[in-house]
Amino acid sequence: MTTTAASRVVLPDVDHGRAGFVTQVRSEWTKLRSVRSTWVCLTIVVVAGIGLSALVTNIEAGRWGTLGLADRATFDPVRISQTGSFLSQFVVGVLGALVITSEYATGSIRTTLAITSKRTTVLSAKLLVIGVVVLVVAEATAFASFFTSQAVLVAHGAKMLPADSSIITQVRSAAIPYVSLADGGALRAVALSGVYLLLLTLLACGIGFILRHTAGAIAAFVGVLLVLPLIVNVLPSSLADSFERYLPSNLGLAMILVTTRKTDFAGVLLPPWEAAGLLALYVVIVVVLAGWLLVRRDA
Amino acid sequence: MISARGLTKSYGSTRAVDDLSFEVRPGVVTGFLGPNGSGKSTTMRMVMGLDRPDAGTVTIGGRRFHDLRWPLREVGALLEAKAIHPGRSATNHLLAMAHTNSIPRARVDEVLAMVGLESVSRRKAGKFSLGMSQRLGIASALLGDPGVLLFDEPINGLDPEGILWVRNLLKGLAAEGRTIFVSSHLMSEMALTATDLVVIGRGRLIADTTVDDFIASNTVATVLVRSPGADGLAAALRSAGAGVTTRPDGALLVTGVDAGRIGDTALAAGIALHELSPVQASLEEVFMELTSDMVDFHGQTPAEVGV
Repeated sequence: MTTTAASRVVLPDVDHGRAGFVTQVRSEWTKLRSVRSTWVCLTIVVVAGIGLSALVTNIEAGRWGTLGLADRATFDPVRISQTGSFLSQFVVGVLGALVITSEYATGSIRTTLAITSKRTTVLSAKLLVIGVVVLVVAEATAFASFFTSQAVLVAHGAKMLPADSSIITQVRSAAIPYVSLADGGALRAVALSGVYLLLLTLLACGIGFILRHTAGAIAAFVGVLLVLPLIVNVLPSSLADSFERYLPSNLGLAMILVTTRKTDFAGVLLPPWEAAGLLALYVVIVVVLAGWLLVRRDA
Repeated sequence: MISARGLTKSYGSTRAVDDLSFEVRPGVVTGFLGPNGSGKSTTMRMVMGLDRPDAGTVTIGGRRFHDLRWPLREVGALLEAKAIHPGRSATNHLLAMAHTNSIPRARVDEVLAMVGLESVSRRKAGKFSLGMSQRLGIASALLGDPGVLLFDEPINGLDPEGILWVRNLLKGLAAEGRTIFVSSHLMSEMALTATDLVVIGRGRLIADTTVDDFIASNTVATVLVRSPGADGLAAALRSAGAGVTTRPDGALLVTGVDAGRIGDTALAAGIALHELSPVQASLEEVFMELTSDMVDFHGQTPAEVGV
């Protein structure tokens, strides 16, 4: 042990620059990559995304012959390729919440805040880092799921849907359809599937900053996705019909639906880009509230 | 230099810190003493910008915490040793901290070696003992090589070798001209380490002084005297204006006159002396005396509760 604590490593000049967003981003990335929960959650997103989607696609394709015409007409080869995101949405929610609530649970948030002069930098840097990581993984998974599921469909003798919409119904009744990414709306639907998981991650992270408690934040997040629809369902149908489309879970559905095709949701949901915009607005509201509280509350 | 002016902080109806003003000067170790719940940790959190004072200000080198450009390189703190993600290694914990203040990775390795944790730097911090966590906390405080350092109960959980190391480290840091502010409830340790003292009770300032002055000004000089002619000596001393009490073992405790006067008085009266020793009150005794009515949580010994 040395008798002096003075640094022999040359530290940058204290009089120049300041701790800010860029330095905080590096720190948040180090924190994110250095705990196991990050990699467990991301692995589940990839495996569940591709595996679950392929599994459900395989089951659906296997029982195509037993489906009625109405079911065949509403079968969406894009949506079924994103089945895994039903599970992934909760996993990214847990990850987004844990990024901040684990700091409150261990008390290390006080270390984080005692080494940075601007608290909102912590919030924005965390959102950027977790957002970029989830977006990359979720998009890669969404596209991989899409191609895997289409391959499963092809293996079941699927026929590509023609561009001529007047004969689509006839083709559907003959064989299970699959689509190419270039097909109308497919690219947008798959891309927005990843964006949906990104927005949910940021939403959960914002909730985590507000509630500062792991179990509370995850419960609130799950409540928004699962319990809120149940509550809306017991409202009088005139009310429920007007609220339903604004629920985060239904916004997610709207984002991955190929609306050019006839589906059972047509007309009930918002158009995909409007849905994405509204969900992003929810995220902004939660994050602004989180930042406002972060600056005002004692750590 | 840490400078607090009129710091006040309440949680609900509880006033944790009440109009507290003090200065912590560079170059010496300043002990921060107070009974449990007296507001020491709250004060330290306000210094570090974690809690917002209801009134008053506290500055580090003349600037408030939120005005510091590189907080970690200007003030380092050990507030809670166990406040570390249990799944993260010591190296990654320090590296994440270092990044926020543009501190190179080599400094992380340097402070880990300084606190003796280099051999366990890759191990998960959740597996650390309290003593190892304290060392990691001290490493994180030293990381930015700051001129001002705060330590909240730094020797908790350390073994005797570790305590000696912290004592020397704190003195060494002070000798380098840094400002060192250390809270502790272990008075005997503070007496050995600190030069200056800030003492609080119930959130209020009791003393802002040096350890020596604190003891001297709060104790009455007492001399312990043993003599085969104790009764005669006591009478002679009383007539010389001294206060005398007799201990159960027959020794006399004399106040109001110094040891020389007592010796002269005994000689004049022809009484032999077997022992003549000035009694030095310990910091602990003075502290207990001064804060006895400010302790929020009294324990009882079995005799007191009638066991």
